[in-house]
Amino acid sequence: MASVNIEAVRKRYGALEVIHGIDIDIPDGEFVVLVGPSGCGKSTLLRMIAGLEEISEGVIRIGERKVNDVPPKDRDIAMVFQNYALYPHMTVRENMGFSLKLRKAERKVIEERVKRAAEILGLGPLLDRYPKQLSGGQRQRVAMGRAIVRSPHVFLFDEPLSNLDAKLRVQMRTEIKALHQQLKTTSIYVTHDQIEAMTMADRIVVMHDGIVEQIGSPIELYDTPANIFVAGFIGSPAINLVSGVLRRNGNRNWVATEAGIDLPLGEVKAGQDGQPVVYGIRPEHLVPANGQGLPVKVEVVEPTGASTFVYADLSGAQICGVFTERHGFHPGSTIHLMPQMDRVHLFDSKTGQRLSA
Amino acid sequence: MNRIWKEGRLVLVAIPLLLWTLIPIYHLLVMAITPKSETFAGELWPKQPTIENFGIVIHQGHYYLEHFWIQFANSAFVAVMVCLLTLAIASAATFAISRLRVRGGVFVSNLALATYLVPPAFLAIPMYKVMANYELLNTQWALILTMVTFASPYAIWVLKQYADKLPYELDEAARIDGAGPMQIFRLVYLPLMVPCLVAVGTYALLLAWNEYLYAFLMLSSETETTLAVALGQFLSGDEAPWNLLMATGMVYALPPAVIYYVFRRYMVSGLTAGAVKS
Repeated sequence: MASVNIEAVRKRYGALEVIHGIDIDIPDGEFVVLVGPSGCGKSTLLRMIAGLEEISEGVIRIGERKVNDVPPKDRDIAMVFQNYALYPHMTVRENMGFSLKLRKAERKVIEERVKRAAEILGLGPLLDRYPKQLSGGQRQRVAMGRAIVRSPHVFLFDEPLSNLDAKLRVQMRTEIKALHQQLKTTSIYVTHDQIEAMTMADRIVVMHDGIVEQIGSPIELYDTPANIFVAGFIGSPAINLVSGVLRRNGNRNWVATEAGIDLPLGEVKAGQDGQPVVYGIRPEHLVPANGQGLPVKVEVVEPTGASTFVYADLSGAQICGVFTERHGFHPGSTIHLMPQMDRVHLFDSKTGQRLSA
Repeated sequence: MNRIWKEGRLVLVAIPLLLWTLIPIYHLLVMAITPKSETFAGELWPKQPTIENFGIVIHQGHYYLEHFWIQFANSAFVAVMVCLLTLAIASAATFAISRLRVRGGVFVSNLALATYLVPPAFLAIPMYKVMANYELLNTQWALILTMVTFASPYAIWVLKQYADKLPYELDEAARIDGAGPMQIFRLVYLPLMVPCLVAVGTYALLLAWNEYLYAFLMLSSETETTLAVALGQFLSGDEAPWNLLMATGMVYALPPAVIYYVFRRYMVSGLTAGAVKS
């Protein structure tokens, strides 16, 4: 097992720079998820760690060793690919044992380790089948089995669940997390799905356009997003964001929107009167209030059973609220919603950075 | 009604095509089983069909058939060597172009195809000169090297189309698993290319087996030459033994027919692999 250090890493294809200097420290045994929209550079970064892409600038260390010029096979990593990349002409057993065979391990050792990995993943009865005879979830397990037989220092996952159907994805998510808790191998996991990131990660790295927007635990990212991008990317349904101007008048603070609505604020440390800001409040932090708070016109009501999503109009801005109680709202009616003051996020309109703590 | 009309049209096309293909073979067969005295009787089926002609061929019982088995073996040797060499060259070339992504590789594969703009017959004299320079004339290697030269570009083209469709992640997974380029070639690339290698190998084999012009040019001694050239020799005299020529022709046509039949599944998939530039 090993830590992974990424220092000021850049990636250029000719004149085009796609990764603009990234620093991430991953301690031994941590499960880190790189998450971001497609094209943000997360897969490229993972492939640089794997040694499949050259590092244009900066340093990547695995353990204490600088690996910039070390070929993939000598980095002591294992990778799980999005399309599994199982060798079609080999059985499950041969697929899992291939790396050990290449390292000229003894047959008994290979047999032993493949068997153990198969037990962990429940692949025992499938060892003599070929990949085409397996279901998607089984192939995914074989791909993971191929990674764990080697007991590598680092696991790399490149969107391993995106080819599976929704139900299987949730199941495999749990299995991968349980596997990590059992093996405690440093893992770097790339996904575009923020729910996967939230549920699996010890720490999440949110990437966007080749830079790191924020690094933190899932709850940190959710509760204190560093900027508008992270606030909008993490959480489903997405956070409500309304533009306005910060108003400070003695003890009273609020955000005035263009439509003439005053959005209530609690105590505000940063920001000046008249500063353009973005007001953010997560759907579940809006509380129905009788006659007080913000008047909104209900447009769509989506009951999911456990909670109800309400999409409503606040003088031109669309607002979403999530309620676990069953209020029986109807489309077309006007209701009042009160933001929980201590849950409001305030961002600078120009820089997009967080203002309030 | 519509369906009958559609299938009827297909049958109308199929019948002439079938006749076009089968009539020469029918002639071949009829003459091969006709005794010498009746060769030009013009019957649709010989009055006394005989397999005697085949016996003469097999026992080398005629002036023109003196070296039949040596020539048969020559043809087989040339065809097999052309097949193996073409496969070795083409699979290594496509591995470099398609999997190792060598700089300029795509240009080379396009260039290889451009060689077909020149008909092989145009190159007969230059090729003859080249082989003369290397003192290979009247050895089977002259023919083998020439045929490999003609078979390789097409083989590279077809193999490349197929190789491009193998997911590149397989190579990356193998690299992470610890394989070097030679191991990827041997343990991952070749096993996955088998269907296409069979198709391309069959193509090269039959190209060399059927070759007449270059065999005629490069090989002069009777014990070095191939069966195709030997068949041509039947017509060098005033009185050609047509029935023996046809019987030998049938024997000569048998190996390709068997090979096609055995590998027909691969032929279809392999030949269509190169059909569309993707």
